[in-house]
Amino acid sequence: MKKTYLINDLVWMSLAFLVCLGGLKLGFGTFQQPQAGFMPFLSGLLLGLLALADLSSGFIDQWKTEKGDKEIWAGIDWRKLLLTMIVLFGYTALFSILGFIIGTILLLLFLFRVMEPKPWWLILIASLITTTLLYLMFKVGLDSQLPQGFWGF
Amino acid sequence: MGFQVALQPLNLFYCFTGVLIGTLVGVLPGIGPVTAMSLLLPATYHITPVGAIIMLSGIYYGVQYGGSTTSILVNIPGEAASVMTCIDGYQMARQGRAGRALGISAFGSFIAGTIGIIGLVLIAPPLVDFALKFGFPEYFSLMVLGLTVLSFMTSGSIVRALMMAAFGLILGTIGLDFISGLARFTFDIPELLDGIGLVPVVMGLFGISEVLLNIEVKIKREIFTTKVKGLLPTLQDWAQSIWAILRGTLIGFFLGILPGGGAVISSFVSYAIEKRVSKHPEKFGKGAIEGVAAPESANNSAAQGAFIPLLTLGIPGNVATAMLLGALIIHGITPGPLLLSQNPELFWGVVASMYVGNAMLLALNLPLIGIWVQLLKVPYPILFPLIIIFCMIGSYSINNSPIDVAIMLIFGGIGYLMKKLSLEAAPVVLAFVLGPMLENALRQSLIKSQGSFSIFFTRPISAACLFIAIALVVFPLLPWFRRRRPGVALEREDVT
Repeated sequence: MKKTYLINDLVWMSLAFLVCLGGLKLGFGTFQQPQAGFMPFLSGLLLGLLALADLSSGFIDQWKTEKGDKEIWAGIDWRKLLLTMIVLFGYTALFSILGFIIGTILLLLFLFRVMEPKPWWLILIASLITTTLLYLMFKVGLDSQLPQGFWGF
Repeated sequence: MGFQVALQPLNLFYCFTGVLIGTLVGVLPGIGPVTAMSLLLPATYHITPVGAIIMLSGIYYGVQYGGSTTSILVNIPGEAASVMTCIDGYQMARQGRAGRALGISAFGSFIAGTIGIIGLVLIAPPLVDFALKFGFPEYFSLMVLGLTVLSFMTSGSIVRALMMAAFGLILGTIGLDFISGLARFTFDIPELLDGIGLVPVVMGLFGISEVLLNIEVKIKREIFTTKVKGLLPTLQDWAQSIWAILRGTLIGFFLGILPGGGAVISSFVSYAIEKRVSKHPEKFGKGAIEGVAAPESANNSAAQGAFIPLLTLGIPGNVATAMLLGALIIHGITPGPLLLSQNPELFWGVVASMYVGNAMLLALNLPLIGIWVQLLKVPYPILFPLIIIFCMIGSYSINNSPIDVAIMLIFGGIGYLMKKLSLEAAPVVLAFVLGPMLENALRQSLIKSQGSFSIFFTRPISAACLFIAIALVVFPLLPWFRRRRPGVALEREDVT
């Protein structure tokens, strides 16, 4: 039994169920006059049926051709991965307040350190230079919209 | 008219910028053409629509050139369409023939790109006349066919690929219903009323997920430090490669036109065919020059062929052309059969710029090979944080909204899990882009037919598309077909 694939199909089936419900709530209409929930319901139904087909074929051939659960999740540094995601979401939430320059320097400090631990002074210099170059490239060169933050830069 | 537009100094600059960025992206593993195009899309808001499409197209076909450098010298494909080039290209490099592998790859790409453009010029106008006869049922069936072909061509299970297409269709329904104006799955978030943006979805699924995947593994790269010399192929090399180039070009072009086809599939097919028709198939995998020439030609002509359904029907055949569709719409241009008559300068300008761009790429790739080799030495611990920041800026700058960045990160997480479970992201994106058009075509067809699905089967073009789509779903269930599929999978395993 490959738990990962079982859970995967169950997740897709649950999503499909919720989308179908949402579609019905929006109003399916009729085939003559389809309403706003028509397409969501049909897409959800299609997803659910396909997930069911995948689950059934998995049970029939016992997921012989698939990778094992251990193989799929081997070597993952969950701490590093979750920390990276939390920091990225934190950056997203805060960069409107901190502004692009300060926010990006802090983010780069973290990312450079996570990717390959090097001395802090080296990482700080790399973050400062990279942020300056990015600012020049996007703000000055391409006139992209960047968050200004509390300090106005 | 096309060259008048393409040769304007500003458009030449955009073309050069596009192919330069394309080559750079192709050389550097981790950033695909789609991520690069989504990153540059906000920067094109300030330029003319023609200039924007010329630049974004340059990135798309430029990547096909650049990807070969990484494949040959590092044995890591710079992007997916260069996977097959690794097999014989890297072996040639190990035998001291890196220069000739790079040379034949660049010349093959140029020849294929040129023939591809000629094909585009010849096929597009008559196809436009044909496309004008299309109604909603034909568009619906053609889009269904495109999604099915893409799912069929993916390396894993077709059922899972179709699941991903269904997921993409669901994502496409988020936002206001275009007929009733009712908000669907917006959860009272105003930013979702216009639907989820293509750029955050693409950057998350392709860019962020790739970085997350690489956080857990340390990638070791072995780059050939010896000087790459002898870039011009010998007469013997030409004799061995010319038919491979021509076959690869034809295969790539026609697979590129096919909805759901594209550069990746065409490079796999052309390599497999070349190995099959070769008098010395045993040399493949050990440094056969045909094994480099065929897939490199195929992926370049496929990139040109993929413009045909986009420019004539307004239907993107793959994710990269879906990005171009998004760019056209943002610039207020409706792609489709009327594009040629309403915006001839854009249509022919983009086509002519491809020819100019191909010549620029030949000049960029051969003499500057030393610079590209140096770029390969950029360490991943520097590259990946940069990719993250690029994606963050790209997502934010579209609407100045942190919600878009959050959406990108969510899709980054989803994309990471999908990669772990071998679920393909391409059907999600294509279905996401086609979803609203597909829904419109389906609902309008049903309203027209008073709710009868027979409208899709009584019109010849629509019926043909649907029968092919049904056959593609049914075929993999047949025992004789299932026996043949592992052969394709084995070819792919050669890459590693």
